[in-house]
Amino acid sequence: MTVQAQNSSRIQGAAQRGFLSWVMTVDHKRIGIMYLLSAALFFLVGGLEALLMRIQLAQPESKFLTPDMYNQIFTMHGTTMIFLAVMPLAAGFGNYLIPLMIGARDMVYPKLNALSYWTFLFGGLFMYSSFFFGGAPNDGWFSYAPLTEKLYSPSHGMDFWIMGILLLGFATTIGSINFIVTIIQLRAPGMTLTRLPLFVWTMFVTSFLAVFSLPSLTTAVLLLFLDRELGAHFYNVAQGGSALLWQHLFWFFGHPEVYILILPAMGIVSEVIPVFSGKPLFGYKAVVFSAIGIGFLGFTVWAHHMFATGMPSTTLLFFAADSFLIGVPTGVKIFAWLATMWKGKLRFETPMLFSIGFVALFLIGGLDGIHLAVVPVDWQITDTYYVVAHIHYVLFGGAIFGILSGVYYWFPKMSGRRLDEGLGKWHFWLMFIGMNLVFMPMHILGIEGMPRRIYTYGAGRGWEIWNFIETIGAIIIAAGMLVFIVNFFVSLRKEATNKSDPWDANTLEWKTASPPPAYNFEEIPVVRGLRPLWDEKHPELADWKAAE
Amino acid sequence: MSILANTSPTNKLSTGKVALSIILTSESVFFATMLVAYVALRDQNNWPVEHTLARLSIPLTNTVLLLFSAISAWRATVSLRVGKTSASQAWQILTLLLGLVFVTIQIFEFTHSGMQINDQAYGGVFFTLMGFHGLHVLAGIVFLMINLVRTRLGDFSSTRYDTVEIGSWFWYYVTSVWILLFVALYLL
Repeated sequence: MTVQAQNSSRIQGAAQRGFLSWVMTVDHKRIGIMYLLSAALFFLVGGLEALLMRIQLAQPESKFLTPDMYNQIFTMHGTTMIFLAVMPLAAGFGNYLIPLMIGARDMVYPKLNALSYWTFLFGGLFMYSSFFFGGAPNDGWFSYAPLTEKLYSPSHGMDFWIMGILLLGFATTIGSINFIVTIIQLRAPGMTLTRLPLFVWTMFVTSFLAVFSLPSLTTAVLLLFLDRELGAHFYNVAQGGSALLWQHLFWFFGHPEVYILILPAMGIVSEVIPVFSGKPLFGYKAVVFSAIGIGFLGFTVWAHHMFATGMPSTTLLFFAADSFLIGVPTGVKIFAWLATMWKGKLRFETPMLFSIGFVALFLIGGLDGIHLAVVPVDWQITDTYYVVAHIHYVLFGGAIFGILSGVYYWFPKMSGRRLDEGLGKWHFWLMFIGMNLVFMPMHILGIEGMPRRIYTYGAGRGWEIWNFIETIGAIIIAAGMLVFIVNFFVSLRKEATNKSDPWDANTLEWKTASPPPAYNFEEIPVVRGLRPLWDEKHPELADWKAAE
Repeated sequence: MSILANTSPTNKLSTGKVALSIILTSESVFFATMLVAYVALRDQNNWPVEHTLARLSIPLTNTVLLLFSAISAWRATVSLRVGKTSASQAWQILTLLLGLVFVTIQIFEFTHSGMQINDQAYGGVFFTLMGFHGLHVLAGIVFLMINLVRTRLGDFSSTRYDTVEIGSWFWYYVTSVWILLFVALYLL
């Protein structure tokens, strides 16, 4: 044990400080922090793109952006938020927390971990470089072929998108394999699968989803690349190709992808709510099985994105019914979170606020999803702003609020300081109000028939007022993010308190120092229950004693 | 990272084998989606039947070659396990040679199939599936070569042969995918 600790501190001792020590690092905590910071920058860029779109749409017949610019911006907004912000933010938390939470010293393949991060970073930068080489991709984040064939999309933007997606897919795949093998092989003694913290469980399921769904996207974009560059005809109907093939391949990846984005946030919320309610999570096993259930069902519903493509009615029926089923495991989770809070000693600090915000907003988004699973309703509102409202309630109100909850919760572990509580509350309320102002009216616009992805609209359709309100909401969100950026830098300049357990939490990452040493734990902990740190702090009330 | 991997002694599979199993499952989804794309395209009415390959001698030869190489890859692991290092080397060399002959024949097949990748959809399907399988064969050959060199250097023994076994596992996978592709592209 001590030999190992000495070894790792000697390896780390070679370069502890300075820029190069970060470039060369294979420490999961540093890689995790780099993931989080890079993804946060991409998130800000994606947010600015959203702001540009909202300014353009604030008034009818606006000339703020050209149609071509608008197409590039909404494509890059979607691509950025999904592949360069939410996925790597989750990967950042996973990198930082999984070894700490399972009582390990690092990931199982530290170098592979570094490779995954750098591939992600350069994949993202590569995609963004397209702005300087004849224009960014402009066919939407799902890049439907044959629209993306060379004949219809002659610019190189699409090629940048294809290569960027291949790089990002590669980064995510090797990262996920690393997570899976780490969780299978490196758990501390006693850390059985039924004692795994929920964040680790959701990252485990998420990693499997990524590993099994990304190959489908890889296939889709490779075939598109062969079509565009070597003259193959996979998506060219005139030469024996198929116009629907892309949609099937893409959504077979794209729907599990939705759960890749939301499950880590659900894991974060499942860690935060018990701590700030002073109670263990209600129905741990039910929540674990519902995560597995969501992951499994996620692979069987992809064609509900394609209701308007003229599939046979039995197919429609199957995919509609199957999509409703996903409401069941999701509902189980929401009840578990509410039951955890029920009669708890609630503390409304910022991490808890964002987690409660997550539950509320995700519920709205989930209900929207059920509307969209009803085939005749979907035929009316598909490709309208209703869909935009749905995706943002689940991915912004859901994934981003969950991730922000995690940022406030684990910032003290990573930096040794808490983020300022007052500014945090401002951040939360600005985001919560702004979010609802932007996305709630989109339901109305969708029902009124405003199509998504149009760069402007005519006056006199009754859309002006809602669009104007949405733009105000977007500015409020931007103000909230500014408060967060100020909070981040102000809090970092405060003197570190280095409390190892500032929230009175339950899981192993709070057992070690804040920030943790390179080797994480001086002694590998032995786990006897679901809340190892609680057991240690309250030996008389330990969970495993109660179970006996 | 052996010092890290040993913290969980109850696990039967080595870390490398767990990782390989997951990688191969992921690869299988890749080949499966490619095959589904092929079936979907074939299902359409305007499938150009005249492009279906009728010659079977070359792919059959290749099938036999790969099956034999899978057997020799298996023998290479078994010999190592019972301590016959030089026999294992011989089997590894045989596996490599069979793999290289397979690649040579595949290149011949590619250039003499009378098709181009832009020959309607079938050409694209044929070259994409076969091409990606070929890349896996090449990756396998590199893996086996490294293992052969390491065996010669005395890196492996009757108690330490996991990497060689992983190489063999990968080679079985490459062989199984070939059989699927052979049936799908030549026989159906």
